[in-house]
Amino acid sequence: MTAEGDNQQPRWLDAHLHLLDRQVLDVHGVPVAVVDDLELSEIPAGQEIPRDMSPPVITALLSGPALATRIFGARPPDSRLVRTPWVAVREVGVVIKLSVGRDTQDLSWTERWVRDHVIGHIPGGRHTPKNEESQQGNERGGS
Amino acid sequence: MIITDLLRARVYGPDFLGFVSDVRFSFDSSSIGQPARLYGLIVSPHARSSELGFERSGVRSPWPIAALVRWRHRYSFLVRWGDIERIDVARIQLRQGFERGSPELRRS
Repeated sequence: MTAEGDNQQPRWLDAHLHLLDRQVLDVHGVPVAVVDDLELSEIPAGQEIPRDMSPPVITALLSGPALATRIFGARPPDSRLVRTPWVAVREVGVVIKLSVGRDTQDLSWTERWVRDHVIGHIPGGRHTPKNEESQQGNERGGS
Repeated sequence: MIITDLLRARVYGPDFLGFVSDVRFSFDSSSIGQPARLYGLIVSPHARSSELGFERSGVRSPWPIAALVRWRHRYSFLVRWGDIERIDVARIQLRQGFERGSPELRRS
């Protein structure tokens, strides 16, 4: 379901309904994260908002350990939330698609670190079985 | 500010009005990637939880859930950004003479 119907970009987005808890995919369709929160541009908190002040905008999608705080209240520390800039969002629908690859995002740094420093040292750990299978398939097809 | 600072906050006009059940954003055009501006808050007098889209998009099935959610969020309304006077921790004050809009989602 998209916000306003299938294959139709919404003009309106409700945070709960269209953004929070949505899966985020990078430009190649690889899952990157889930939207746990949204970062807004500055709002003067605790003081009167001028009538002519322009409305705040979404500046980033935030991902992190937000489940417990959403249930029990409060909010996770800012340092635990990882930002995906809103300008990188290409499409909002059943999932949120980005216009950039996952390797450019801070979100996947732990996965990249494990891949480079742990998995990469295991024999055979520097290539994917999928490539191997396709190569073998090509060889069989060519012979 | 993050969105959870607004969600479930208590909303006051002259008196207590309800809770923020969702936050609505708008676009200048239909293309995503444009700035998503805060258009308004959806205020529910009886429930803090999300309406799951039932009340706002005309979805009527499965009917027991739709009926329950619509009943919990009865008399919900939309308050536009211009009617918000002040945002404190878990409390939002509206300006005098604020207008109650329909929370229903409109098509582009």
